[in-house]
Amino acid sequence: MPKLFIDNREVEVDKGATILDAAGKLGIEIPTMCFLKDYKPSTSCMVCVVKIDGLAALVPACGTVVKDGMRVESNSEEVLQARKAALELLLSDHLGDCLGPCQVICPANMNIPLMIRQIAAGKFQDAIATVKKDIALPAVLGRICPKPCEKGCRRAVFDEAVSICLLKRYVADLDLQSSNPYSPSCKPTQDKRVAVVGAGPAGLAAAYYLQQAGFCCTVFDEQEQPGGMLRYGVSQQDLPRDVLDKEIALIEKLDVKFQSKTRIGDTLLMDDLRRDFDAVFVATGQLKPDDAESMGIEASPNGITVNGKTYQTNLTGVFAGGDAVHKRRLTVRAVADGKEAAVSISQYLSGSSVTGTVKEFNTHIGKLRDGEIDIFLTCADKAERTSPAKLGLDQNPPLAGSGKDGGFTDRQARKEATRCLHCDCRKTDTCKLRQYAQDYEAKPTRYKSQRRLFVQKAQHPNVIYEPGKCIDCGLCIQTAAAAGEELGLTFVGRGFDVRVAVPFDRSMAQALKHSADQCVNACPTGALAFRIEL
Amino acid sequence: MDELDLTFVDQAVEKIGTGPEKVLGLLQAVQGHFGYLPNEALERVCELTQITPASIAGVSTFYSQFRHRPAGRHTIRVCIGTACHVKGGGQIYDAFKRHLDIPEQEDTDRQKLFTVEKVACLGCCMLAPAIQIDDITYGHLTGEQVPAVLRDFLEQQKAVAWQADKQTTDTKDFGEIRICLDSSCVASGSEKVYEALQKAIQETGAQAVVKNVGCPGMSYLAPLVEVVVAEGTSFRYAEVQPSDARAIVSRHFKPKQIGRKIKNAVSTMLDKILTDKAWEPVTRYSIDVRDRPVADFLGKQLHIATDLCGRIDPADLDEYIRNDGFKALQKCVNQMSPDEVISVIEGSGLRGRGGAGFPTYRKWSAVRNSKSDKKYVVCNGDEGDPGAFMDRMLMESYPYRIIEGMTIAAYTVGANEGYFYIRAEYPLAIERVDKAIEQCQQRGFLGDNILGTDFSLHLKIVAGAGAFVCGEETALMASIEGRRGMPRLRPPYPAESGLWDKPTLINNVETYAVVSWIIRNGPEAFARLGTSSSKGTKVFALAGKVARVGLIEVPMGITMHQIVHDIGGGIAGQLKLKAVQVGGPSGGCVPANLAHIPVDFEALKDVGAMMGSGGLVVLDETDCMVDIARYFLDFTQNQSCGKCTFCRIGTRRMLDILERLCNGQGKKTDIEELERLAQMVQKTSLCGLGKTAPNPVLSTIKYFRDEYEAHIEKRCPTGKCKALITYSVTDDCIGCSLCAQHCPVDAIEMKPYEKHEIDSEKCIRCGTCESVCPVDAIEVQ
Repeated sequence: MPKLFIDNREVEVDKGATILDAAGKLGIEIPTMCFLKDYKPSTSCMVCVVKIDGLAALVPACGTVVKDGMRVESNSEEVLQARKAALELLLSDHLGDCLGPCQVICPANMNIPLMIRQIAAGKFQDAIATVKKDIALPAVLGRICPKPCEKGCRRAVFDEAVSICLLKRYVADLDLQSSNPYSPSCKPTQDKRVAVVGAGPAGLAAAYYLQQAGFCCTVFDEQEQPGGMLRYGVSQQDLPRDVLDKEIALIEKLDVKFQSKTRIGDTLLMDDLRRDFDAVFVATGQLKPDDAESMGIEASPNGITVNGKTYQTNLTGVFAGGDAVHKRRLTVRAVADGKEAAVSISQYLSGSSVTGTVKEFNTHIGKLRDGEIDIFLTCADKAERTSPAKLGLDQNPPLAGSGKDGGFTDRQARKEATRCLHCDCRKTDTCKLRQYAQDYEAKPTRYKSQRRLFVQKAQHPNVIYEPGKCIDCGLCIQTAAAAGEELGLTFVGRGFDVRVAVPFDRSMAQALKHSADQCVNACPTGALAFRIEL
Repeated sequence: MDELDLTFVDQAVEKIGTGPEKVLGLLQAVQGHFGYLPNEALERVCELTQITPASIAGVSTFYSQFRHRPAGRHTIRVCIGTACHVKGGGQIYDAFKRHLDIPEQEDTDRQKLFTVEKVACLGCCMLAPAIQIDDITYGHLTGEQVPAVLRDFLEQQKAVAWQADKQTTDTKDFGEIRICLDSSCVASGSEKVYEALQKAIQETGAQAVVKNVGCPGMSYLAPLVEVVVAEGTSFRYAEVQPSDARAIVSRHFKPKQIGRKIKNAVSTMLDKILTDKAWEPVTRYSIDVRDRPVADFLGKQLHIATDLCGRIDPADLDEYIRNDGFKALQKCVNQMSPDEVISVIEGSGLRGRGGAGFPTYRKWSAVRNSKSDKKYVVCNGDEGDPGAFMDRMLMESYPYRIIEGMTIAAYTVGANEGYFYIRAEYPLAIERVDKAIEQCQQRGFLGDNILGTDFSLHLKIVAGAGAFVCGEETALMASIEGRRGMPRLRPPYPAESGLWDKPTLINNVETYAVVSWIIRNGPEAFARLGTSSSKGTKVFALAGKVARVGLIEVPMGITMHQIVHDIGGGIAGQLKLKAVQVGGPSGGCVPANLAHIPVDFEALKDVGAMMGSGGLVVLDETDCMVDIARYFLDFTQNQSCGKCTFCRIGTRRMLDILERLCNGQGKKTDIEELERLAQMVQKTSLCGLGKTAPNPVLSTIKYFRDEYEAHIEKRCPTGKCKALITYSVTDDCIGCSLCAQHCPVDAIEMKPYEKHEIDSEKCIRCGTCESVCPVDAIEVQ
C-alpha cells in the first residue's frame, strides 16, 4: 500500500486511492466543487489543486492517484492563491444574486425574499422568525420605515416594487395579535451582564439579541418609558403607541431589565457601569460631544467615535451605536446597529476576538439588460402592486392592521407575495461556490468583464436551471446518464461558451423525467435548484 | 416548413455503422447532405444507432465543422490563420460580409447564396490571405478584390470543366512534366495548368507525360512546373499560367506526327497572332536550380521526411517501392526484433515532432512493455496550429512513407490496429492516405500477414471536424471514440490506457515520416545531424512576411536567421525582421536580436518559444505584438475544450485584457495582471493546450513590453489596432478621388481636384484608401 506525506504528515492509503482520499484520512479538508463521492472525477473546477513536490504544475487532488513516496502540500501560499484564483475566475462568470437586491440594500440585511415566500406559502410562524432574526421591532418599522428595500426591488423595472414593508408589517401585526406571539429561544444564561444605555431602537435591539445570546441586559433610560425617539419623537398617528408597547413587551419578555429615569452622568456614572457590568452599549441617541467626553468616550461633532465594524469605542468593553454615533440616521439603521453591536459584544464577552458581523458573501447581476426582466417574471404573478386602501372592504380582515389603518389582509398579503421575482439564489446556504468564496475571501469583481445574458429555464415542474450559475462540472450529466434518462443532459459548445443543455433544445422536463432531484442535489451551485426552497 | 426527407440518414447509417464511435462520420455525412444538421436528422440517427441524444448533441456542438442552422448554397471560408491574420485576413472577412450585406450576428446573405465563415487555418499560409469558396481556393486577396472573386466563382460554376482523355500510352521513354497538385498548389492554379499541359500534349502529340508529384515546397513559386527531358536534365518554370502550357510543351518535346506538326505550327502561329509575346512569358518565368534564389531556398535544406520531394507521384506505390519504399519495413519484420527497432530509434535520438519533443523510443518501449491483448497505433494528423501546413503536405505528398513508419511502429509495439486522425479541413490528405492504405492492403504491406509474416495491421482513417484541442493526444482519442474532444488528466498515459482503455502509441505525422529513413540509413546517419539534444531534421511551414514562403525541411541546429534570410530570402519589401513566431498558439516569438539561436527543442524553450509542430510565421516591423498576442489568445480561448476553469475562463479573462489594450482602454495594472493570470493558467491546466496557451502572451511581454506600455497609453506603435488609429489625407493629395471611389463605407466624399477628407466616424480602418492612393497621401496615426 502506498504511503505519502500531506503537509508533512504521513498516511498510508489503498492502491489507486487519490490525494483527496488520503487527505480525508488525515482529516485535512480540501475544497471540492466538481467532485462528488462515487462519481467519476471530472477534474475541471481546479478548486482542489494541491502541489506535489518536484512538479511545477499544480494537480487536482480529486483525480490524482497517490504514488508511493509522494510529498503533497495542501495549504501552501501557492496552493491557496491558486484556489482563490479559480474561485475568482468562476465568480467572474457567475451570473446571479446570492442575496436579493432588497436584502442587500436593507440596513438590517433582513432576508426579505424568504419572508415573502413564507407568506406566499402561508407559513406565518416561519415568516415572523425570519423577520425577527434581523429586525427586533418589525411592527414599528412596518409603519415608519422609509423602505430602502423597495428602492432596490427589481420588480420596479417591470412595474412597481413589491410592497415589502407592508408585508413585513403584516407578518408582525399578525404575530402581535396572536395569542402566543413569537418569542425566540435564548441560550442558557451566562454569568455576564451588559448595561445598555438608552431604550431607543438601537438599545432595544441590542438587548433583544444579547439576551438571546445568553447575556443579561439592563437597559437604562432617562425617560419614564422605554422607546426613546420612537415614543418621544414620532407622532402617535404614525406609530400607535400600543404597537410600540407590545413590541417592547416582547423584548422585555426575554428577561431584559429596564431602569427608567436614570441618566448616566447624573446619579450613575460610566465608571460605575464599567465596574458593575461586563460590557456597556451606549445607545443614547444623539449626544453632544461634551456629554460623551464627560463619560470618557472619544467623540467628534458627529457623534461617538467607534470602529465601524465592531462598534467598539476607545474604552475597553464599551460599545456604541445608533444616533449616538451617527446623527439622525434611519430607525432601521439604529435597529441594525443594535443587532450588529450585540454580535461584537457577544464576541467580546465570550473572549473571542472581536471582529463584528461578517459581511455575507454576495454576487450581483446588477442592472438588467433589455428583455431580461421578462425572464424574471416567468415565475412571478404579473398583477400590479396591491394597495391596501382599495381593498379595505375585504370580507375577512385580520384583527390588526387591516384595511382600516393601511395594512394588508390575508389575501392581499399572499397575493402581493406572489409578485416577488425570487431574485435571490435558491441555494444561498448550500452553494459550494459561495461557501468557498467566503472561506477564501475571493472577490467576485476581481475580473471585470462583459457579463452573459440572464437565462432561466423554468420548464421543469420542480427544478429551475440557470446556466449562468453553471460551473461546467458535469455532475448532473453523469447523474442523468446513470439514472438512465432517455434524453438526459449534455455539454454543448466549446471553450468559454461550454454549457450544460438538453439535447435537441428540448425542455428540462423532458430531460430529467426521474432524476431531477438527484441532479439538484449533485449540483454544487445554484445552477440547478428546486423551484421553491423555504 | 416541409417535412424533411430522412431516407438519406437511413442510408448513411446503413453504410457507416451504428457504433457509438461512428458519430463524427455520421454527422459529417448528414451535414454533407443537408448542408447543416437538422434536429430531425440527428434524432433519426439516435433512433437507428447506439448513439445517445446527449452524445450527438454534445459532439455536434463541439466541433467547428458542424452547423445547426441552414447554410447558403456556397460556403466562403475565410482563413484567419496566423499568416493570413498578419496579412489582413480579418479585413477580408469584413469585406465579404460587407459586400454581401450580411448583418452582424448572421453569416448568410439574404439570397441564401453564400455563407461566410471564419476558419482557423486552411493550411495555405503561402497564399495569405486566403479564402475557400466550396472547394476552390483564392489567395493573395485584398478587400477590393472581393466582388471580383465572387464574380469569378459564379462564372466558373457555369463553365463546363474541360476533361482530359486518359493517358493510355506506354510512357517509359517519355519525358516528364512534373507539377504538384496538392491543395495549396491547386489554389495557386496548378490544376488549371495541369489540364492545360495535358491538353497541349494531346494536341501536339508530344512524347511526354504530365505527372502529379509531391510538393517541392517552393510555394512562393507555385504553380511550379518541372520539365524532365529524356536525358535527365530538367527545367523549372515558376508561376506558370495555363496559357503558358502550350509554349512549354512545344519548347521541349517534338510533335509525334507530321499532321500534328502542321496543326501545331498553325496554332502556334495563331498564338502569335493572338498574343505578340508567345515565348516571352515562359522565358520570363523560367527558373533553374542554378538560379540563386532557388539554390538558396533548397541549398540549406535536407530532405528526410520530404525525401524525393517534387519527384515522385504521391499515389504511385510502384514508384515509392522503386525508390526504396518499404525496404525498411521489410528489414524490420524479417530481420529485426522489436527491441532492435527500439534501439535503432533510440540511437537516432528521434524526438516527437508534434511539439513537446518527447523521446520517441521511450513512447515505443512504454507501449511495447504494456501487457494487453489489444494495442493501437495512431497517427496524429490533426495539425491545428493556424500557421502550419507541414503535416498536410506530408500526408498529401508522401502517404506511403507515413504508412510505412506507422507499420514499423505497430510491429515494434505489438499493435494490429491503427487510426489516422486527419483534420477535416484536409480533404485531399484524407483522400490520398485512404487510397494509399487501399494500395498497401492490396500489395500486402498492410492487412493480414504483412509481407508473409504473422504480423498484421489494419488502418482506418477518422476525419476530425475542426477542433484544435484534438491535437492533444487524450482529446484525439476521445474524438476517435466518438466523444467530445476533451482531454483528461494524465496519468494514465495512452501507453498504458489509451483508445478504448488499451495501450496506444500515438505519434505525429512527421515522426512516422522519418522512421523508414532511419531504419534504412542507420541511427548514426540521423544522429549525426542536428544539435546535442535535437537530432535529425525538422519540417517547417515558413510563412508570413518573408520573401520566399513554403515548406522546408532543415537540419536541426540551423539558426532562425539562416531560415529567414538564406532560405526565406529575408523580409519582403524594404522592411526589417521583427520576430519569428514559432510554434503557433503554443509557442512564442523569437525576437530579431535572438535570431542567432538554433532550431533545437531546448534552445527554443529557453527563449520562451516552443518547437511546436513547426509553424514559422515571420513578422516584420509593421506587425503589432499586442495584436499578435490577442490573436493567439482569441484562438486558444475559442479552441479550449472548456473543461478546466483556468483554461476556459482564465484565457478568456486574459483575452479581455488584451482586447482592452487593443481598444485603448488598458489600465496600468494590466500587464501585471496578464502575467499573473498567464502563470496561473500554465500551472493549473490539465492538457498541453492550456499549459501552453499563455506562451504567446508571456513571450511578447518579455520582448516587447514597450509595445504593451504604449497601448496602455493608448498608442499602437505599428498602427495595427483599429481603435487606436485614425486615417487622414495629407496635403500631398492630388484630388484624384480614387480613395473616395474605393472607400467601401463612403467615409470619403468625392471632391475631384481638391484635397479629400476622411470622416473618422464612418471610417472602418480597412486601409483601402491607403492602398489605392497613387501618391501616398493617406496617413495613419
